[in-house]
Amino acid sequence: MIKTKLAAGLMAACAMTAPAFADKLDDIIASGTLRCAVVLDFPPMGMRDESNNPIGFDVDYCNDLAAALGVTAEIVETPFPERIPALMSGRVDVGVASTSDTLERAKTVGMSIPYYAFENAVVANDKVEMTTWEDMKGKTVGATAGTYEAIWLEKQVNEWGEGSFRPYQTQADVFLALSQGQLDATVSTVEVANANVKSGNFPGIRVVDKAPMVPDYVALFTMRNEYGLINYLNLFVNQQVRTGRYAELYKKWVGEGEPANLAIPGVYR
Amino acid sequence: MFDTALTAADFVFLAKGAGVTIIVTLISVLAGTILGILFGVFRYQVGAIWAAPLTFVLDIFRSIPLLIQLVLANAFIGTILQIRISGFTVACIVLSMYTAAFCSEIVRGGIEAVPATTRRAARSLGMTWGQDMREIVLPLATRVALPSWIGLALGVMKDSALVYVVQVTELLKSTQILITRLQEPLLLLLICGAFYFVISFPLARFGGYLEKRWSND
Amino acid sequence: MFNYTFQWKQALARLPQMLDGAIVTMQIAILSMAIGILLAVVLTMFRLSGNRALSAIAKTWVEIARNTPALFQIYMAHFGLGSFGIHLSPFASILLGITFNNAGYLTENFRGALKAIPDTQTRAGRSLGFGAAGAFRYIVLPQMLRISFLPMTNQMVWAILMTSLGVTVGMNSDLYGVTQDLNALTFRTFELFAVAAVIFYLITKVITLGARLVASRLFRY
Repeated sequence: MIKTKLAAGLMAACAMTAPAFADKLDDIIASGTLRCAVVLDFPPMGMRDESNNPIGFDVDYCNDLAAALGVTAEIVETPFPERIPALMSGRVDVGVASTSDTLERAKTVGMSIPYYAFENAVVANDKVEMTTWEDMKGKTVGATAGTYEAIWLEKQVNEWGEGSFRPYQTQADVFLALSQGQLDATVSTVEVANANVKSGNFPGIRVVDKAPMVPDYVALFTMRNEYGLINYLNLFVNQQVRTGRYAELYKKWVGEGEPANLAIPGVYR
Repeated sequence: MFDTALTAADFVFLAKGAGVTIIVTLISVLAGTILGILFGVFRYQVGAIWAAPLTFVLDIFRSIPLLIQLVLANAFIGTILQIRISGFTVACIVLSMYTAAFCSEIVRGGIEAVPATTRRAARSLGMTWGQDMREIVLPLATRVALPSWIGLALGVMKDSALVYVVQVTELLKSTQILITRLQEPLLLLLICGAFYFVISFPLARFGGYLEKRWSND
Repeated sequence: MFNYTFQWKQALARLPQMLDGAIVTMQIAILSMAIGILLAVVLTMFRLSGNRALSAIAKTWVEIARNTPALFQIYMAHFGLGSFGIHLSPFASILLGITFNNAGYLTENFRGALKAIPDTQTRAGRSLGFGAAGAFRYIVLPQMLRISFLPMTNQMVWAILMTSLGVTVGMNSDLYGVTQDLNALTFRTFELFAVAAVIFYLITKVITLGARLVASRLFRY
């Protein structure tokens, strides 16, 4: 008797904790705002203009996504290491933060199909002699904590067994350290490297060589179990390419030329 | 060095950051002090053994880096309980508990500093516990506790620099954002440091003055 | 109860790495305390010296250390000095930042402790034939250190907690840095940082209890 009562109580409790099923996609549309995690010290993908408002490829991409959903976009600045924690703690709905779609991460968050692809370059301080990427061996190198290139670079340094690796919290700190000569070299995306060299904000640095990495495909991400939203994101990325918006944004933020091909030959998805 | 690209808009941006620092500090110190007084009186009143669980919990807030407290609280509230609240709220909750943990120590120390004989005298004059607390303990304990409390409040203001980790753009984070755009680390850092100093220094001095004045008699 | 699956195994599997980080954290804290105490003694002597310039140095140091955030001081040690072409490794930056902070707070503690030592003691020492320095070294200093033993323990705990700020200057071998690196790889934020929190808690407890034990043995009389 008591047992059945208890069971009934438990079932009632369970029924109460399981809400009528509205998924994240519904929630976003209902709330009227889409909160995107964007990294804002990652030019030209994310940065700030003179009045310190967020601008950049990722910012526009988030705005496009919000427009497609018929809601207003809210840009939440997250440093690289805080991107996924910000999603997991419900601070944002979607990450539009140049996030590499690694398998390790996919254990925790759900990734869309790639929406951009980076190649990486080696950038060095002018005072350091370096002609190829392999000259980084034995040097003091650094990159932004938690990024694809940081993970690659740290592994390289460990394989070489000499030199040292320093992760910084933000891309800006990396280039600041490089410009000040605290670092001999860094690896960053070609886009960021060129933008930073060109801006003149960081005197005394130069692009040395391409880094021999597999192109860094980056994806939008959201909660792993939000299939409805992930489906939507996939279609959205597809539409951005199909409608030419992808090429348009590339031209606006990165420059002339062809944006990277997002399809990988010889395999589905 | 003073040939700078800093504009008036950037100063407004910094001032906003400073405003956030001050608001977070005020809320946390206020809530933390109220909680701290409650916890402190409770701990004194029920004795060490019965207060042990509370003491243990409060001790955790003093033994773990604030950065980790913020990260954990953020992950716990957002990821595990899945409650949607702003980073600002998380920051205030954690800093309030952090303040309360230290404040309860100060309060307990203050109450203990009131001589037992004085309190017994008050009670034997017919004062109730409440009257004793209000009329005897409060004024005397405040003298002992206030200077430390000022130190604590300033400490919380300085420690509030860490709430950047839950996406709150306070003063130091605003400074970093400007450094990112303008690449004038030294100048910007000096401005930021000067701001903290200008608020903290006079208050710290005032605390020192009170301590000196009240300890002489 | 929670709509969240804990994966403690993932975090516990990284425990050895995190314990290595804890050792680095301890190293930073111990070094910064040792150097900080020495500096604080020197600054206290500056203060007592009666020389205007020296006591101004001591005063400025103490006020800056106590009135700006530790995070600011550490950032300054790395990027601020970097602007002058002085390049410190992350380890050196965090060590410098925390040592600067420790020295400032300890000097202030020593000042309080000195008040508790009656002037007559110095005078008695002088009349026994000690020089000014000798009287300080043999009579005042030992008592000052003993009286400030508890504040020093507190500062040691602070030093441990402050090491977590090293990540802002590129530190990745201390306990917080290791945890954050692992977090960037796996994103099991709660589990990893909870383990780190327990380690931090145990370290600070060992230090405070150890200090109490040492104090009870050293200062029995």
